[in-house]
Formats: sequence, C-alpha cells, structure tokens
Amino acid sequence: MKKIFALLLLGWFPLVVYAEQQVSYTVRATEIKQQPFSDAETVGMLLEKARVQVIQRQGGWVMIGSDQGDGWVKMLNLRSSSAKRGDSGLQSLFNLGRSGSSGITVATGVRGLSEADLQNAKPNPAELAKMQNYAADKNQAEKFARDGKLNAQVLDFIPANGN
Amino acid sequence: MYKLKLFFSGITLLLSGSALAFELDWQKALQVGGQTLQKVQQANRPVTEPQEIELGHGIAANLLGASPLLDNPGAQVYVNRVGRWLSLQTDRPDLPWQFGVLQSTDLNAFATPGGTIFITKGLLQRLTNESELAGVLAHEMVHVLSKHHLAALQKTARMNIASDLAGEVINDKGNPLLDKAVQAGTEVYARGLDKNDEFEADRKGIVIATRAGYDPYGLPAVLQMLDAANAQDSSLALMFKTHPAPRDRLNLLDKIMANNFDGYPAPDQTDKRYNSELAELK
Repeated sequence: MKKIFALLLLGWFPLVVYAEQQVSYTVRATEIKQQPFSDAETVGMLLEKARVQVIQRQGGWVMIGSDQGDGWVKMLNLRSSSAKRGDSGLQSLFNLGRSGSSGITVATGVRGLSEADLQNAKPNPAELAKMQNYAADKNQAEKFARDGKLNAQVLDFIPANGN
Repeated sequence: MYKLKLFFSGITLLLSGSALAFELDWQKALQVGGQTLQKVQQANRPVTEPQEIELGHGIAANLLGASPLLDNPGAQVYVNRVGRWLSLQTDRPDLPWQFGVLQSTDLNAFATPGGTIFITKGLLQRLTNESELAGVLAHEMVHVLSKHHLAALQKTARMNIASDLAGEVINDKGNPLLDKAVQAGTEVYARGLDKNDEFEADRKGIVIATRAGYDPYGLPAVLQMLDAANAQDSSLALMFKTHPAPRDRLNLLDKIMANNFDGYPAPDQTDKRYNSELAELK
C-alpha cells in the first residue's frame, strides 16, 4: 500500500480517486506500468481475467493494486467484473458500496422516468420556458472555455471499424 | 398537407382508371431498390430544421412533464455552459442548444431533436468531473447531430407522421399532426434507439469532448461506472433497457480508442469548478 501512495505523488494529470475501491478484471494480458503512460517502466504483468483493485483514474489509465503488483494499467483493459450482467451474486456484493448509497430506498415519487411515466407524460411547457432561460450563448460558452483553460483541438471522427 | 392530398388523389385517379398492368408498372416504378412508396415520399420530404426544433421542443415538454427540472439554477447554468461549448465543436453549432438537469433520481440522459439535452440529477451525482459530464452530453448531442430520433420515428409504424409533418408549416400550436408526432416521438424514449445509434453516439461523442479540450476518457469512465453498477437497481432500469450493455459499449471504445487518445488531459481548472459548481448536489 505504501507503494501505491508513492505512485499517487507521481501523478501529473488530474486524478479521480474512487470513494470505494472497485474490483475489476483484466480482459487481456496487461502490463503494469510504474507511471500512467505507455513507455513507462513495466513493473509487473497481469494475465487475462486477473483480479485487481482500482484505486484511481488519470485519463485513460487507472492505478491498481493486485497480487501481481501495484501500478498503472490502461483503463480499457479492465471490466468491472468477469461475470455476466445480472446473474452473479458476487457482482452485487462487489457493488454493495456503490448501489447501497443510491437508488433503491429513494422515494419513487421523484423518479418520474420509467417507461410508463414516459408513455403517459403530459407536456409541461412552463418548465420548458424556464429551461430556455438557462441556455448559454456562444460568447458565454467561449468565455467559460477560456476560464477553464480549455483549448479546442482539431480531431476527425473515427470510422466505426477503428483505424 | 395540401400537396400531399393532391399527390394521393392523383394516384387514386391513376389507379381507378387504369388496367392491372399499368398498376403493376406503377408499383414497380415506386419500389426503387425495394423502397416502398412511403419511403420514397420521405426521402423527398426531409423534416426541415424549424420542424425538427419544434418537434424536439414538444418532446422536451413531455419529458419535463415526466420529470421537472432540478431546482438548482447554478447547476443548470453550469451544465448549459459545458454543453454549449461542446456544441461549438460540432457541425451544427447554430441550433438552439439547451441543456437541463432533471429532478429524477434515475440514472439517464436524453436528447430531443433540434438540440435539447437532459441529464438526470441521479446520473450527475455519480459523475466525478467535468470531462465525464462532457462525455455524457457529447454522446447525447450526437443523437441530435445524426437525427437518430427522427430516423427512429420514420422506422416505426408511425413513420408517416414525420413525412406528414414535412408537408406542414408548423406555426399554430393546435396542430394535430405535430401533437401526434410529439406523442410518437416521446414513445421512442421508452423504447430506445437502434443499438448502432448508441454505438455511433459513443464513438463520435468521445471525439467531440476531446475537440472541446476534455479528457477523452470521460465517457468510458462513466461506462465503467455503469458497468460496475448493480444491474438490478431500479434507477437504472430504463437506461439499461434502452441502451446496449455498458460492457458492449466499452468493448467498442476499447477497439477504436487504442492509443489515439493519449495525451489529452483536461485542465485542472475544470475539475475545480466542477466540484464548486455542483457542490450542493454531492
């Protein structure tokens, strides 16, 4: 664990630290890197379907702890569980922390977006008018981008079949 | 409608006064490449942009009837700025883009034709930074850019509504054709879009978010969160019903992103303001 905190200090991208540790599995053999980029030193190797604990995310990389070592792996080499959706008691166990704090106990009155709710919805033009008041114009959007140091990038769409 | 009626009465005249052979020829002439008469009509009568916007506003009013806006002007203004900045990276920057946070605790997001986008409070609360928000909004915006809901409307049994609408000038609020289209359009949200439309929205959404200067992995991170969420949770019911499994969406992004999206970190400032602007929601 000490090693993990040392790695934390190396981060130079904005970090996302997860409130609960997530269990994930590799979908392919995956190198564990000392730092979150491809040409960083490889400090370990995970086989396919290896179990890892996800600690935080930085861009396309996540910091993990595992029996094979701690470090950074590509986020898209991981999926949250190896089980099929909906058929695993284990999966809900893993997600107890996340789902336990949300949804189920919330009063159904404020949901309003079930299939039936949508089919029976009556228009609410007053809310639509209110919404239009919050809209931003181009100048406000550009100022917002400048304030956030966001720079527009030139990038083409990717074809459906990848490169 | 006037033109449409003329068209039909012309056909009726032709049919009633013609021999069988002529009728067959007529059918053949219209079945270009297996297309039906209806489809040919639609191809010739695209829904205009003002009609698209009007239809979208009607559907948006219905969605707001199902769940009103979250009473948090700061969050509403903030989400609008993120969304409007994203819109400037698209080929339809001049649509009347508007964004709303719905009060609903469900996890979901919606787009209506013409540029109205919704995200639920439930989903917004699960996001962790501005890049993830941008990823979700950009995904929805692709549905508008590619007119996925208009296509879905035209594909259903009610497909003639869109073409009927195309023959109408929509300006009076009591237009029954518009009401029908809005109703049919709203039902598309209960049923969901074609799964390829969802994949397209993911694939293009990450590019729009990246163009705007955000971390391209915002949307994949949201999909990871959804993949980890409990599939039995009722707050996810409609979203899971109307979208491909998060895992399948991740597999697609995994395939196309490769190493092409490394090196686009989002500025720290965006994370800071995300946390301050949405502090009340967390």
